Amino acid sequence: MNTFSEKVVKILAVALAGGGLYLLAAYEHGQRESIRRADVVLTPACIEKLARYGLESGEYYQSPYVLQRTGAKLATRGYADDDIRAIKRGCNIIDDTQGKLASDPDRERWNTRRFIRGTHTACRHCHQSVGDKQDAAGNRLVGSLNLGASWTMADMYDRFTGLLLPFELRQMQCYINSSNGYKPNIADDVIRDVTSYSRFLSVALDMKIANRYDEQGIDEIPASATPKQGDDYVRGEAIYRQKCESCHGPQAFGRVDPDGRLVAPAIAGPNAWNMQSRNYFYYVSTILPGFICRNMPLGQENTLPNQECRDIAYYLSNLPRPAGDRQGPIIALRQQVLMKVLPPLLRATGSARGKAAAAKSDSGE
Amino acid sequence: MSPPHAPGENARGKGQDSSPADTPKGALLIVGVIGAFVLWAHLGSGVQAFRSQVASEPGWDKFSAGYDIQYFGDDGQFVRAVQSGYNLIFYTYKYAPRFTRKKAGDRINACGSCHTAEDIAYAFVNSDRFDPKLGARVSFEDRVMRCYAGAMDGFVPTIYDPAVRDIRLFARAVAHHLQLSDGAIRKAK
Repeated sequence: MNTFSEKVVKILAVALAGGGLYLLAAYEHGQRESIRRADVVLTPACIEKLARYGLESGEYYQSPYVLQRTGAKLATRGYADDDIRAIKRGCNIIDDTQGKLASDPDRERWNTRRFIRGTHTACRHCHQSVGDKQDAAGNRLVGSLNLGASWTMADMYDRFTGLLLPFELRQMQCYINSSNGYKPNIADDVIRDVTSYSRFLSVALDMKIANRYDEQGIDEIPASATPKQGDDYVRGEAIYRQKCESCHGPQAFGRVDPDGRLVAPAIAGPNAWNMQSRNYFYYVSTILPGFICRNMPLGQENTLPNQECRDIAYYLSNLPRPAGDRQGPIIALRQQVLMKVLPPLLRATGSARGKAAAAKSDSGE
Repeated sequence: MSPPHAPGENARGKGQDSSPADTPKGALLIVGVIGAFVLWAHLGSGVQAFRSQVASEPGWDKFSAGYDIQYFGDDGQFVRAVQSGYNLIFYTYKYAPRFTRKKAGDRINACGSCHTAEDIAYAFVNSDRFDPKLGARVSFEDRVMRCYAGAMDGFVPTIYDPAVRDIRLFARAVAHHLQLSDGAIRKAK
């Protein structure tokens, strides 16, 4: 009898634990569904972007951008309210990944912060103008990491991973490396909503599946596209001080205004991309220079010569940053130590250099 | 000093059965089972699913020429995946036997029994949309997985499985040839 009641208690405990888990899962599922059905409050950049592309529910969709530029009245399948909300949420995630503009980031951005280490990263830092960068005349810019073009070119062979890389997996890599964070599930709403937004961009810009577009990805700059002076750390630092420091800060740790709002993202230090990111010069030496040349400084894109972009990229990649998932614990520890030790040292030597320069100029030398 | 255990009694007390792991034989058995599973997983389970060689089935050459698959290269991972997608769609019973109960003799035994290549390309560019019948937004992969379980009277592959992935890549290649954009509407013939 004693053994029997013990068994009953055990069975009841297991049943209770299973039932509890089921109820928790049902509750979470219900919460997600309620978020999917909730109205979406757009960020200012998304309001502008989606209004420009005429996103509305209806049986057919016609892109005002395509109509204006080509005169073609291309009707594609329209969007249901659920689709519209997914596209809006995706746009918000690109523009405000960490939910700094949201009243409830956990609900409005699917708590995207849980996949990101650090406080600086947002998708729009690389995918500028909410993933669709254009000049004043509405021309899409070469090498501007357009998300619509990325969608049309997804599933192609990726030389870095050796995979036929789906769009969803590419997003997961961004979270792991560019955001130095964690991988969302492939079916997570975080991923699906960004895919929906990217697909909408591809329709709004009339992009065809698997065609090549100049605005897709980076316009990479290899050493062979320079006068072959060699990539120079010292030259890179000098150009950084001249062209980049005013926004990204003296040690490239980014800049935050007094209200805590991010002015410019970190491009080195604990909030920056890690050593497994394709932006890391020692991993891929052509991507960051390409990004700098085509997208920086803001408002003066395409003004830096190729060699200067490579020099800046080389300099930046010598500053301490987190290790990636393939570097192992020793390198990770080294990077953590460097990120603790170097900043005060550089501050001290930087201020000493500043004082020496000021003394030099005071003495009229 | 603790008393010695009586015969039939173990350290946990009288009447309690010892688990297999308590004896060296039992532990060996468990290690053996785990080892055999690892060996099977390594050698036997995934080789076919993840191999990069693709068999050429009747109709592939015509299809490849008709849909200009050469745009993606004479050969390469993408082209092989598209070819694998072709095999999966038109010879499902042969190339996805894990996910269908259909046999060669069945009247409907492949995706191609109901869908043309163009149907699949249009389904792809119109995926990730709200489906009023299901009351949810449905991805292309969801639809493929549903087909295996429903029309193919079989089982649901995971979203990562080549049996799903290669059909998506096949759809991409056909959509490219037709120069479809996302949400393209099929014109009535």
